[in-house]
Amino acid sequence: MTEDESELLDGLRQLAADRQQAPSCVEERLLAAFERHHRKRRLLLWLPAGSIAAAAAAVLLFGLHPAQFHPAPAAALVASAGAADEDTEGVFYPLPEAEALPPVENALVVRVEVPVSSLRLMGVPVSEDNASANVQADVLLGQDGLARGVRLVE
Amino acid sequence: MLESPSHSDGDLLRLLSRGDKEAFVQFYRRHQGAVYRFALQMSGRAEIAEEVTQDVFMVVMRASGQYDEQRGSVLGYLYGIARNVMLRALERERPYAAALDDGEGGPASQLAMGQDLAAELANNERVEILRKAVLALPPAYREAVVLCDLHEMDYADAAVTLNCPVGTIRSRLHRGRALLLEKMRAAERCPA
Repeated sequence: MTEDESELLDGLRQLAADRQQAPSCVEERLLAAFERHHRKRRLLLWLPAGSIAAAAAAVLLFGLHPAQFHPAPAAALVASAGAADEDTEGVFYPLPEAEALPPVENALVVRVEVPVSSLRLMGVPVSEDNASANVQADVLLGQDGLARGVRLVE
Repeated sequence: MLESPSHSDGDLLRLLSRGDKEAFVQFYRRHQGAVYRFALQMSGRAEIAEEVTQDVFMVVMRASGQYDEQRGSVLGYLYGIARNVMLRALERERPYAAALDDGEGGPASQLAMGQDLAAELANNERVEILRKAVLALPPAYREAVVLCDLHEMDYADAAVTLNCPVGTIRSRLHRGRALLLEKMRAAERCPA
C-alpha cells in the first residue's frame, strides 16, 4: 500500500468515526406520525366488529329476530333493491335518526324478521290488518354500523 | 410494552408493527444515526439527510413486515430504503453532488487527533477535503465507498443493498478509492 493510499484509508476512518445524529425534531415528528398511524389502524380493525355489534344492537333495539344475514356490498345494493321490486316497492324507508348520520359509502344489508307493529314505529306504512304478524325486512347499515333505513321483503 | 432494552431488530420490528411505541422508539434510536449519516454523506445536505431519515422510518412504521431477514441485515434494509428515498429527493433538488472546489462546506470535522494546533488544522482540512471528494464521486462509486468504507458494511450486504453482484461492489469501491486519491492529490497541488 502506498503512502497516499494509507493516508486515504486513515482519512476515511476519520470520516467513518463521525457520529452525527438526526435532529431530535425528526423523532418527535415520527412519534406523532406513529400514533396517528396506529390510531387509524386500530379504528379500521375495530370497524367490522363495531358493525356487527351495531347490527346486533339494532336487532335488540327494534325487537327483531334475526332470520338470515345477507351482507351485500354497496355496489350490489342497487341490484338488490331492483330485485326487491317484485316483493315490495324496493324502497328503503329512512329511519328518523338516520338524517343526522353521514352519507352511506359502504352499506351492509341485514335481513331480519320483525313484527309489523315495530315497522309502523319506524315510520313504514303497513296495513292495520296485519299488525300482529311478523314480516321479513332488510335493515340497511352504513359503514359505521348504524342503521339508516328499513325495507319490507314480504 | 417493552421491558427489556436488548430486543433484537426482528423482535422490535414485529412489536412496532403491532403498534408498540416503545419498540419503535428503541428501533429508531438504534438506527437513526447510521441512516442520517448515510444520507448526509451521500447528499452533503443536512436538510435532505433529515428528510430521508424521517421518510425511511415512516416506511418502517407502515411496512415493517416487508423486511425479510433471509435477504440481509436490518441496516442493509434501511440503507436500501434510504437510497430510494434519497434518489427521489435528489431528483427534485439537483445538482446531486457538491463540487470539490465549493468554498462553503459543511461543519468542519471535530475528529482531529493531532497534538499541535497546526497539525490539527491540517488534519481537519484534509478530512474536510476528503468529505467533499466523497460527495463529488459519481453516485455509484459514492454509494460503494460510503457503505463499505464509512459504514463498514461487508461486500455481500452492500451488494444486496445496492442490488448488484459482489464483484460490482469490489470494482466500484476500487474505482471510487482511486478517484478519491486523484481528487486528494489535485486538492494538495492546488489548495483553495
